[in-house]
Amino acid sequence: MEIRQKGYQRWQGELTPARFHWLPIARAGIRAVWKKKYAKLVLSLCASSFLVFLAAVYASTKPELKILGELVRMLKSDAELFKTFYSNGFLTFMLIILSVFSGADLVAADLKFKAFPLYFARPLTRVDYLAGKLAVILFYLLAFTLLPGVLLLLFKMLFSGSLAVAPRVLLALAAFPLVESACLAALTLALSSLSANVKFVQIGIFLVYIFSNNLALILKAIFKSDTAMLVSLPANVQQLGSLLFGLRPQYRFPAGLSLLLPLAVTALSLWLLAWRVRRAEAGA
Amino acid sequence: MDEIIRLENIRFRYRDVEAVRGVSLALPAGVFGLLGPNGAGKTTLMKLLLGFLRPASGVGAVMGLPLDDGQRGRRRLVGYMPESDCLLPGMDAVALTAYLGELSGMPRQEAMKRAHDVLYYVGLEESRYRAVETYSTGMKQRLKLAQALVHDPRLLLLDEPTSGMDPAGRKEMLELVRDIAAQGSMSIILSSHLLPDIESTCRQVVIMNRGGIAAQGAIADLKKDRRNVYEIRAVGAAAALYAALGARGWKVEEKDQGLALVTPPGAGGVEELFRVALQAGAQVRHFRPSRTSLEDAFMDVIRGSDGN
Repeated sequence: MEIRQKGYQRWQGELTPARFHWLPIARAGIRAVWKKKYAKLVLSLCASSFLVFLAAVYASTKPELKILGELVRMLKSDAELFKTFYSNGFLTFMLIILSVFSGADLVAADLKFKAFPLYFARPLTRVDYLAGKLAVILFYLLAFTLLPGVLLLLFKMLFSGSLAVAPRVLLALAAFPLVESACLAALTLALSSLSANVKFVQIGIFLVYIFSNNLALILKAIFKSDTAMLVSLPANVQQLGSLLFGLRPQYRFPAGLSLLLPLAVTALSLWLLAWRVRRAEAGA
Repeated sequence: MDEIIRLENIRFRYRDVEAVRGVSLALPAGVFGLLGPNGAGKTTLMKLLLGFLRPASGVGAVMGLPLDDGQRGRRRLVGYMPESDCLLPGMDAVALTAYLGELSGMPRQEAMKRAHDVLYYVGLEESRYRAVETYSTGMKQRLKLAQALVHDPRLLLLDEPTSGMDPAGRKEMLELVRDIAAQGSMSIILSSHLLPDIESTCRQVVIMNRGGIAAQGAIADLKKDRRNVYEIRAVGAAAALYAALGARGWKVEEKDQGLALVTPPGAGGVEELFRVALQAGAQVRHFRPSRTSLEDAFMDVIRGSDGN
């Protein structure tokens, strides 16, 4: 055995306290998602919405092209453009797919393979662990919401030759994807922490999306009230967009509730997540 | 550093079960075995040392850093090889070890270089690029040791390091532990219920039972207590001999293969043994001072602490 020839060798370097302890977790997670089977396909589909809107923005500055007429007509204002981009059904659906793809296994796999003693024997706190895992989902969600939103704005300025943009739109441009991504990321991780079976977690995330909308439609049919749409994830996305971009709400219930609801879901999910990870650490 | 561990009256309970009962312990730098039957509180004590669990009462410090504070600093100085079969899926051994090194505070490049070194050291050089999910139990044990060593800790906590390994793998694992101990730069606490593992790697031992410290000290000292015990094999009227010895206050413990351990009531008394054998009509065919194993000493300690 080699050990007899070489023996244990000490490491001569020095441990340097990291400024962001969560960063290696985030980096490893982002890399792991990128290496997954079908990653390129899923990410390309997520980007397709941006490409369509980019074409529409270009077409809106070149009326002679006469392409994407209906979409171009919808994008009368910046607020309308970005609200439609962020809350369009296809992007919302793809963000759910992306959450499932990038986040369902983040905590569930650690539970399944009992990885917690390996993490928590390091100079990591539960907050570092959770921040690292959340950063993975946030990275991908923001890469297909905030980043294309900013790019759309830049391209719009470039195509139209005007730098004019309302401050509220600028604020909403950042706030909408941040609220939406934070809520989806926290909810995904919370569901991921509930089971060591990744399949159950994936189904759970889909159920939240599909079941919430179907339940809302059933309740709306029974009570004949738009307030029932408050339980629908896609409806709340629409309503939140209207609220932040200052547009007329699509549903007749206070739009402010569609801001409070994701914030409450985020807070509840983070609490659940922290509780589950605390239990996992104690049992490590 | 004078002491690697100092605990004063540490208590911890899992709901109705008091898993650690007022443990006080002071260990200087060195290699220690943590012995105890299943459920003695060894793993819970390790979790308390690492900060996975918070003691209900009591104070303590690991490597001079208090249990209730300085968790990051403490964990930077400690390497932990857990008992459970844990791994990070989707990685090969190099990526996993380097990643955990990085989480310990090693620069990225250094962590990668060191990962290769420690994997080579534990004997995983051939399979370091294989996905860890495909590893056998023995390979996983080696990998767990590698990840505990990657940041060159000052204190190494090994929880059942030979668990599930075949005899050859177990021997190699114990050789690794002995080699690390021989370097003298790292203190080791090896928790096991396998007495030969402890005996072959440690000179000092802490015995736990029912959540408390039942005994602590040098293994040689623990064995010393049983020097006045003799191992005999009698033929003929062996039963009459044992009865006669018992009547004279000797302690007689019959073992397998016709052997018996006999302890005279006071010091000496060997002549009396042969005299009684002659009277009883028994022949003593085998006689020697009992070679006390750690197991004997351990069982004595456990019985003693159970009786208290």
